[in-house]
Order: sequence, then C-alpha cells, then structure tokens
Amino acid sequence: MCFKNLPVEFDEQGKARLKQGVTDPYAYQVRELTPLDQDEQRLSQLLARNGHIRRADFDPVTRVAGALAFHTVVDLENRRVLETDSMATLFRGYEVILKGRDPRDAIFISSRACGVCGGVHATTSAMALEMAFGIRPPPMGVVARNLLLSIEYLYDHPLHLFLLAGPDFSEPAVRETNPEIWERAQHSPARGRGVHGFATVAEIMTAMTPLTGSLYAEALHMTRVAREAYVLIGGKYPHPQTIVPGGISATIDISDMNEMMLRIARFFDYGQKVVAIWNDLVELFYEVNPRFREVGRRPMNLVDPGQWDDPFAYDAMYANAPEWGERRWATAGVIVDGELVTTDLHALNMGVEEFVEHSFYEEWVGTGNGARFKTDPAGNPLSPYHPWNKDTIPKPTGTNWKERYSWSTAPRWDRLAMETGPYSRMWVTAVANKLPHRRFIDPTGHSLKLSVPKGALPAAEMEWEVPGDWGAFERNRARAHAILYTALIAYDNLLIGLDLMRKGETGVSVPFEVPKDFRIGVGFWGAGRGYLTHHLVMDKGVVENYQILTPSTWMASPKDPFGNPGPYEEAVAATPLLENFERPEDYKGIDILRTIRSFDPCMPCTTHVYTGTRVISRDVVTCACGAEDDD
Amino acid sequence: MRVLIGGVGYRNLRDHSLGPWLADRLSAQARDGIEVEDVSYHPIGLSQNLQERPVYDRVVLVGAVARGRQPGTIVAYRWRGELPAPAEVQARVAEAVTGVISLDNLLAVVGTFGGFPGDVRVVEVEPADEGWGEGFSPQLLSKVAEIEEAVWSSTLP
Repeated sequence: MCFKNLPVEFDEQGKARLKQGVTDPYAYQVRELTPLDQDEQRLSQLLARNGHIRRADFDPVTRVAGALAFHTVVDLENRRVLETDSMATLFRGYEVILKGRDPRDAIFISSRACGVCGGVHATTSAMALEMAFGIRPPPMGVVARNLLLSIEYLYDHPLHLFLLAGPDFSEPAVRETNPEIWERAQHSPARGRGVHGFATVAEIMTAMTPLTGSLYAEALHMTRVAREAYVLIGGKYPHPQTIVPGGISATIDISDMNEMMLRIARFFDYGQKVVAIWNDLVELFYEVNPRFREVGRRPMNLVDPGQWDDPFAYDAMYANAPEWGERRWATAGVIVDGELVTTDLHALNMGVEEFVEHSFYEEWVGTGNGARFKTDPAGNPLSPYHPWNKDTIPKPTGTNWKERYSWSTAPRWDRLAMETGPYSRMWVTAVANKLPHRRFIDPTGHSLKLSVPKGALPAAEMEWEVPGDWGAFERNRARAHAILYTALIAYDNLLIGLDLMRKGETGVSVPFEVPKDFRIGVGFWGAGRGYLTHHLVMDKGVVENYQILTPSTWMASPKDPFGNPGPYEEAVAATPLLENFERPEDYKGIDILRTIRSFDPCMPCTTHVYTGTRVISRDVVTCACGAEDDD
Repeated sequence: MRVLIGGVGYRNLRDHSLGPWLADRLSAQARDGIEVEDVSYHPIGLSQNLQERPVYDRVVLVGAVARGRQPGTIVAYRWRGELPAPAEVQARVAEAVTGVISLDNLLAVVGTFGGFPGDVRVVEVEPADEGWGEGFSPQLLSKVAEIEEAVWSSTLP
C-alpha cells in the first residue's frame, strides 16, 4: 500500500481504486498560516526585545539559475531559523503559450523553459508526443536519446559543484564565515591526494575560489567537453534541433560514436577526482563540527520518474509504463521516510497533485474544469489536482506570506513535499535493486557500486552509499558521484549503440503523422536537478492542455493547503546557524545559502514574466509580483 | 585585417532579437576578412572558442541593450575593457552558464576569461518593444539601415 494520505487503495490483483464510501475523496481543508511576519505586532515586539532576532532576506538568491527569493526570520543567539518562505519570483507561462499549437512545437518551445537544460524539456516533450501518437522509437533512437541526456548532465553536474554551490566551500567564503574550519583545513592532509593531487583540504578550498581557482577553471573546461559531445548528434546546445517524437532526426555514424566516446571517457578520471574532492571537503566539515550534518536536513522523501530507457523495452505506451519504468538505468520510484514505497510509474503518476493556495494562480477545480480525467488511461484514479486536470490560470497579486507569495505551485506526492535530484535517481536505483544493465553500475539495496574504466587514472571500484544523514553536504557529495554514475550510463549506451551498428540496426526514428482525434500522453523523464514530466492533452491536431512539472517547482514550492512547507523552506528551517560571527550585523547567512544551493535551484523554468507589453528576462526580484502594473 | 561581427540577443523577443537577426542578415554580406556570427550561444563558450581560433584584429558586437534612452537610439563605441568587481563578474558567470543572454554579460565574461583582441567595438541599440515574438518595433525598424551602417563602419581600419 503506497498511499497513506490519498483516498486510493489496491485490490487483490494490485489494481488501484478509490476507497469505498468516501463522498468527496480528494476534498481537503485549508489550514490557515500564521507567519510571524503577518503578525506585525508580535514580530515588532520580538525584534525590539531581542537584537539577535532579525529578518534575513536573500533576494535574489545569487548563484542559482534564475529568480529565487528567500525570506527568513532568524534567531542569531539560539542559532536557529524561526521562519522561512521560498518565493519563485517569475511566471513561466509555457503552459499558456502552448495551448492551441501544433503539438510538435512543444518540443522546441518547451526547450526554452531553461537555458541550462533545454534538451531535457525537448526530450520529455517528445516522449509525451510519442505516447499520444502511439509510436515507438527504434532501439538506436533510444540509445541516442540516452546518450544526449547523460551528456547533458555531464555539463550540469560540474557546473553545480564548482560554479554555483562550490564557491560556498572556497577559501574566501570559508575564511570569512567559518575561520575555524579554514584554520583546520590548512593542517588537514587530503585523503584523496593520490587522485586529485591536493596535499591539504585548504589547497582544495583555494582551488575552488571563483574566477581564479584551478578547480573552478577546470569545471568550466569540462562543461565544454560535454557540450562538444552533445552537439555531435544534438546539433546545438542547450536547445537541440534533432529531438523528434519517435527518436531523433540526426543520423549517427561510427565517427560520431568515437568522437563521443573520447569525450565521455574524460569524465571517468574527472569523476573520480571530483568524488575525492567532495569527500575531503565534507569529511573535514563534519570533523570540525558534526552539526554540519544537520545543515539542510529534511525528511527523506524523494520522488523520481526515472530515465534512460532500456532500448529493447521502452514502447512509449502508458499501459506498459510500470514495466519499462523499472528497466531504466535510473529506476522510477518514490521514497517516503527513507523507505522505498513504489517503483510503479502508474502509482507515481496518480500520486501527483499541484496546489495553488499560496501561489499566484487561480484554483481551477472550482471553475468546473477540475475533474476532466477521473482516471488515467489505465483506469487508475486521478485527483482533480493532477497535472492532466490542471489549468494554468495566472493571478498575480501582492506578496503576502499568509496568503500568496510564489509563482511556484505546491506539487505533492500523496500530499507530501518531495525532493528530487540526481541523488533521488541514484537513491531509488540503489534501494530498488532492479537495474537490468549491470555492466558498470551495480545496485546493492543500500548503495551503488560504480566500476570505473581505466583512463589516465587506473580503473576503480567506487561506491555511493545511501546516506544515513540527509542534508546539504550529502546532496553535494551525491552530486559528485552522479558524474561517474552518468558517465557510466553514457558509456554503457555507447557500447550498446556500437553493437546495434554492427548488427545494422541503425534506424533512429520512425515516421509518424499528427493524429487529429483526441489523445493524451505524458513524458516521464528527468532534468539535471531531478523529476521532470510533461502532461499533454491534444485534440483536432492541436494542444488542448500542456503541463510541465519541473524539479524546482517541487522543491521551491511554497506551503501547501495543509500548512506544510516546501522542501527549501523545510530544509532551511531545520538548519542550525553554524556561521562564525561576532556581531549580528556581520551575519552572512552562509548555512542558509549552502542549504538552498545544495538543491541546485533552477528557476529559469519559472523565468520570463510577461507583463502584457514586455518580457522581463533577467534582474527581476520580488517586485515582479506586481509587474503587471509596471509597464 | 580579420574582423568578427557578433550578434547578441534572444530570438523571438522583438527588439531584443536584433543581434541574432542582424547576424543572419549580415552573414550573407560577409566580406574578405570579415566573419559574421550569432554569438548569443554562451559567453563562456565564446571565450573558449575565441581562444582556439587565430586571433582576430577586431571584434564588433551588436545587440539591443535597454538603458532607458530614447527607443531606437544607436550608440557605437570602442569597449575600453573595464571589468566589474570580481564578485560581480562571478554573478555574471553564474548567469552566463545558466542561460541569460546579454551583451553586458558577454563583455564581462569574455573580458575576464580571455579571447577578445585588443580592439573590441560595440554597436548597441535601445529597444522599444520587449515582448514575445518576431518582428521589430517601428522605432527600431526605421533604424535598421543606420544600424547596419554603424556595424560596417565599426569594421573599417
């Protein structure tokens, strides 16, 4: 029984159905929020009485992709966070733009939802279309897709680890905010010296210094290696030109494969080096103060639709999604309180709802449109708040922490806030232990064993253990392992692709026509930062409804109608303030920033606010909520 | 003399699409020693690409930049290579690698990481229409010939 909160049960054959005798099964009561900031008198008294209690707003949060603002009230004496509000400051609106268009446009338009990872949107869109069209890509088309998406992450992971989150662990940041750690780092031999070459942890921190550090520069260089591999069959980056329903539109020859292999192989050594670097960093922080394990802590609730399809199993049919979802290199699944509750894509899909009580959107269920689909195509019950039933109705208003304060919706699975990321796909794959392709990656039920081929460094057996403590530092450590995990998936697919070539199975796409009758489809996939789905409804050859659910929508979520915080809010609220400062005015908020950045927020998915006459594409902060008046 | 003309901007964003639109248009008129390219793809990538190519004698960048001037205003100047403070450059790098396309970003990032020759010229135009879609505002459209002339003039020895 995977649902505890939704009114769904399973019969003896394992078929889902609504619980009997519940009159309005998906109804809920909205719990009123009581934020400190809304009680001005109480907050003023607190602030006046206690010089150590103060507002700390990060607006915008820098070094994240796009527009995110974060509001907190902190108690600097007791070193804890009293209140948190995560605010996506811009409206995405692709759902509105796509209505009425040729569904094929969705591949290219939705790609623009992100300037970092457009390819994932293009691919997820193509998958939603091929499900709706009833076509199945040939094995080589799936291999090509797997290659593109793994290479895309080989761009993404170094970016996060050294350009976005990494600077919080660099010499200038550590000296300023935790001088006791810098002091210790200078005398701490680096355990991974044999792999990364740095004698002390302090040398690593120095090399992570933005603009001048060697690790910063190397990460920039490795992003280029990944881009070069990507464009060989993607055509261009970040918005590929070759993604189509039923495969890809580029032909692939042996020379393309060899060019890709040369570049992917460079990540075998680089991945080992990055793991050694982050192991040294994380362990030093823990040694100096074990409470760093609590930074960014939140419940072990994770969701991931999985990705990288088995070329011989994926058929794009919704009815068979539970089978092909379990054969992916990243197993689809949901973890609640650290326990795997399902690997069934139908269960994953039917558990998803989006709420807008604290978002700048109008609720659609009350408009009479909510229950269009009472079940999915396999007959499983769907909530009126499910993406297939959702209607995006923007309703910008002023910011009010008690009422509405974000352009992100509040997605929930079984009405729980969920986290997602490269680690959710590794975590589910590790504990589900269902991976059919074990040439280089071996799940054990509690870890992933990674067999790294020889590069300049010797071949190595690496292992990522499912962490006992879950917080910001472990997110980054897992992300470091994700470079190897991803490179090995790319390599495995390269070898499968070469084998297909030897057999003459070189077809990369199938012909199709856009159907004119009513169809629905969904793309279950992922982005560098985790969960990604596109839900499509089409009729008469055009898009009727299109809903994109991104990882940062899950994690930047505001509070839900039940009063529960979103993942960023939850993690920041649990974060102890370990920064070393003498006076409150010196406080920088590094623990809060490390927490937020550990999730790798990617807000371009919520970027581009349309004000009626102009589009704001950067430099928009909180005041964007009133941007419709700002012409 | 080798010159690179680079258009900078978003596609399908009205006047902000001036750079890539001009790159497409002017590439058909490229002359001896003058290459034309849409360089909106990625400031880090442009820096890396420029460092791998034989050094240009001059780079001419063209695009729309909103600075509150009269719409359609054309400003052509030689970039003096002044860079923002390191923290600001770092913020611009974060924007650059996460998809923001901006002429100012491009100057700051490529200026920091290298690839520009000693001679960088800029032709920037004040946009009027910043909405979705193709096509320019009347204010900008009426200046296209003048903008092209400013770009070609910037390539002269």
